[in-house]
Amino acid sequence: MVRLHTVGVSRTNQDGKSAQILHEISFSALQGEITVIVGPSGSGKSTLLRLLNRLEEPSEGSILLNGVDIRELDPLAVRRRVAMVLQKPFMFEGTVLFNVQQPFRYRAVPAPDGGSREIARALDLVGLPTKLLQRDARTLSGGEQQRVSLARALISSPQVLLLDEPTSALDRPSSDRFALILRDICRLERLAVLLVTHDLRLAGQCADLLIYLEGGKIIEEGKGAELLSRPCSEAFRRFLAEPKEGEE
Amino acid sequence: MENQRVVPMELLQLVYAYVLILLAVALARFRSIGQEKQLLWASFRMVTQLIVVGYLLQLLFAVRSPALVLLMLLAMTGFSLQIAGSRSKVRMPHFYRVMGSSIVVGCGGVTFYFCLLVVGYSPWFDPRYLIPLAGMIIGNAMNGASLAAERLSSEMHDRREEIETAICLGANPRQASESALRAAYCASLIPTMNSMAATGIVALPGMMTGQILSGTEPVTAVRYQIAIICAITGAVAITSFLILLQGYRTYFTDACQLKGR
Repeated sequence: MVRLHTVGVSRTNQDGKSAQILHEISFSALQGEITVIVGPSGSGKSTLLRLLNRLEEPSEGSILLNGVDIRELDPLAVRRRVAMVLQKPFMFEGTVLFNVQQPFRYRAVPAPDGGSREIARALDLVGLPTKLLQRDARTLSGGEQQRVSLARALISSPQVLLLDEPTSALDRPSSDRFALILRDICRLERLAVLLVTHDLRLAGQCADLLIYLEGGKIIEEGKGAELLSRPCSEAFRRFLAEPKEGEE
Repeated sequence: MENQRVVPMELLQLVYAYVLILLAVALARFRSIGQEKQLLWASFRMVTQLIVVGYLLQLLFAVRSPALVLLMLLAMTGFSLQIAGSRSKVRMPHFYRVMGSSIVVGCGGVTFYFCLLVVGYSPWFDPRYLIPLAGMIIGNAMNGASLAAERLSSEMHDRREEIETAICLGANPRQASESALRAAYCASLIPTMNSMAATGIVALPGMMTGQILSGTEPVTAVRYQIAIICAITGAVAITSFLILLQGYRTYFTDACQLKGR
């Protein structure tokens, strides 16, 4: 379980002024559940995600992973337990196999038999055929690259999975397929999934807990589909009514 | 071959030589290229620096003090740092600390190894050997070091996505920067490798030419040249390696986070 307790982030701008990016964020993401964070651009969604695997540090508050403050843990160990898939999937130069094996190369102790069992399991989870393993990863479609990057994140059997706008480059059928895969992975692997997205359709398909973030503050939170159909705050209603990028 | 006396270079002969620079200035003015002032300033700087260093070397050769020789080497290192810093467009964090320590260890180590073990003159601080050899080593290593530092900066910037992806997958800073380090190291060695390939075919190196002009047997001059090229290659490689080894760390925090989002 991941628990955030009054987390705040402030940054100093180039003009020397301090800007508050996140204010007193508190919530818990549970194993086997998907927490979806939505909000307008610049609301601090991506920063929030980056705090969770220590790509950035909070200025105040604490983030607990199974009850332990992540700042007390080795950052590399945190990142092996809290996997993150970035918005634009980066493929290392080489085959799909090379890409999926990459986390093994970063470990001090290499996986026995090159991790073939874990690779087969991860590919199965994300629905990629093993015949793709020898393909040049950079020649895959956007959807396939997104699934390779998801498989790569799952290789280390993490406890928490962080996803930053994972469907931003996908068409609607690919995005729907991604939502199904994600729900299955979350249930099967008992993962705590935190998903940041602009895509309200994806949010509705996935969210067990939905959080609406605006101006670095949690404006509203509640059960996914329920909150989307009956928002309480005026800000969230306005956000839901705005036309979103890529919407027809 | 009998050693011939060097043709002395009188002031009038130098004036004749300087006419060639004036010719370059005139050409720039005639074609409205607009580099006359820079050309004149650069030539003035070159003449002044060489005159000053000429007198300084004469003084050092006469005094033969190890402290003064070491001071001179330190000054050369300082100037090389200042030139490298002013040339580089994008500077890595802690530029002077990283470059300075790498040049001192890399060039210093190679210079003393070369002077004491390869050339093997005595006493160790003999300025006639130590200063020109150190100058060649530091000058060349400075170019390699600048290239390594500048390329590392641009690679760390351009490969940000790749580096963050690796970090997210549990890589440590060295593993995450591997491609950037490899590219920067190769870039730092390219000029040295190119000059090795061209030596003797396209150009006769300055040290060898100088020795031949001053009456040294060509075979001896060639041997010196081979040895100094080996020393330069070693110094460039070691200095660049040390810069990269220290340099990539400056882009990360203690918690292995990439700085400067």
